[in-house]
Amino acid sequence: MREDGQILRGKVAVIGAGISEVGKVPGKSPLALAAQAASRALDDAGIAKTAVDGVLASTSFASPFHRFSVAFSEYFGIQPTFSNTLQVSGATAATLFHVGAAAIQAGLAQTVLLVGADSLLTGLTPDLALRSMSESRDQQYEMPFGIPVANTFAMTANRHMHEYGTTAEQLAQVAVTFREHARRTPGAQMRDPITVEDVLASPWVTTPYRKLDCSLISDGGAAFVLTSAERARALGIEQPIYLLGAGECYTHEHIFLMPSLTTTGATRSSALAYAMAGYGPRDMDVAGIYDCFTGTVVMMVEDLGFCAKGEGGPFVAEGNLTYGGAIPSNTHGGLLSFAHPGMPGALFHFHEVVSQLRGRCGERQVPGAKLGLVHTLGAGFATNATTVLGTEETL
Amino acid sequence: MNSLEQVMRKPLPVPDADTQAYWEGLRQGKLLLQHCLACGHVQFYQQAICRHCGSERLEHRAASGRGRVHSFSVVHRAPSPAFKGDTPYAVLLVELEEGPRMISSLIDGDPMKVTFDMPVVLVCEPVSEAISLPRFRPAEREQVK
Repeated sequence: MREDGQILRGKVAVIGAGISEVGKVPGKSPLALAAQAASRALDDAGIAKTAVDGVLASTSFASPFHRFSVAFSEYFGIQPTFSNTLQVSGATAATLFHVGAAAIQAGLAQTVLLVGADSLLTGLTPDLALRSMSESRDQQYEMPFGIPVANTFAMTANRHMHEYGTTAEQLAQVAVTFREHARRTPGAQMRDPITVEDVLASPWVTTPYRKLDCSLISDGGAAFVLTSAERARALGIEQPIYLLGAGECYTHEHIFLMPSLTTTGATRSSALAYAMAGYGPRDMDVAGIYDCFTGTVVMMVEDLGFCAKGEGGPFVAEGNLTYGGAIPSNTHGGLLSFAHPGMPGALFHFHEVVSQLRGRCGERQVPGAKLGLVHTLGAGFATNATTVLGTEETL
Repeated sequence: MNSLEQVMRKPLPVPDADTQAYWEGLRQGKLLLQHCLACGHVQFYQQAICRHCGSERLEHRAASGRGRVHSFSVVHRAPSPAFKGDTPYAVLLVELEEGPRMISSLIDGDPMKVTFDMPVVLVCEPVSEAISLPRFRPAEREQVK
């Protein structure tokens, strides 16, 4: 059992954030998107690429380098002394922050660039993009039955509906809310308003999910610059955003060994992150919640402690995910409406929460946001990682 | 790597060192579960150690083949072209009578009529000389047909 995280809490700051062109971006490879995002993050931080001595990256389907972080460094023209490519599916985004922060705190690197990019929309055909998803399932026990990764999430949502009476309308409201958010986000892939009726009239994908319950397929990337809180101050960074809490939980690999289909490892990962941060769910001003599917969000608001188990359906339907509600979430539009290029998808949640905490969200701004949570997950809830971020005054 | 031919082919399981007996069992019409002789734990899938106590004293025993649908999802948009012709099909999370759960898909029944806790029965479906897939049909045929 770990100590309560005082070793890491508040010791590392996000000093730069950048996103590439996002949505449908033909003619740009994942490495090009990664480089564009990285340049923007370094510009945002006001530091040169030569200051980067650590690189962490997620993998890419369209540029399947085993060592994406190493390939990226070569492409970008840097030679870091700390590097790794992480892969825990959708939860990778938060783990980049955790590993990067730990590396800085342990002295393995001073300035770590986190980067992720992919071209699932124009770099792969739609069928191959989906196939690349299905191939992440076990080849002996899952794949022979034609199980897309969407199906594992669908079975959890179906069971949640069965056990708690969660309705299709409640699921649909998640998509409607995030679409409304995306309408205010420049560059969001989907900005036309939708209604609950639209969601319920869209074609089935895998029950209980219809097309508009499912996240997008996109191109894009994001990058962040991390350094020690001490060095952020020495550099005179204007609004460093501090990593206050980090927690992860890996409960299973195969969906059939998930201990409960309706209570996930997010309960543990978030409890660890809250404990480290010294704040709880009610203290959060804004959140980024991994929204690969609408029902995923319903289950996560419960497991992250924003409402009680089984009450996620009514909670999301009552407007708690938007402005004036309990926890404005995915104010950029999320994976459902902003963009979902795979591994980098949740990096946009980080970008949005960091922007909110810096007060830079314009008409999307949650007034006075000081504490934010990002929860990322993947592989049918096999992987869960939660990060709590805060401004200077939350330290 | 993604040639058209590969894309159109359904993925066929490749047994590994842990799972030879499992696939051989299915070929003979038996779904083998591992019973731990040290602690009594019954497990699916096949591996070299008991997930509960770590013992290597594991014995294969054929399951009854009876189970219930713990959850399911009917696939309308196939994960790859190879499955397009099968849609809509029901992927099942079956809870076996012996306790373990497994992924399978419905055979010989209406995918739109699958319900929670529906009783199902094993059907070993040969898909190649070496491989038979463990699939499940409704226990009461007339109920779903």
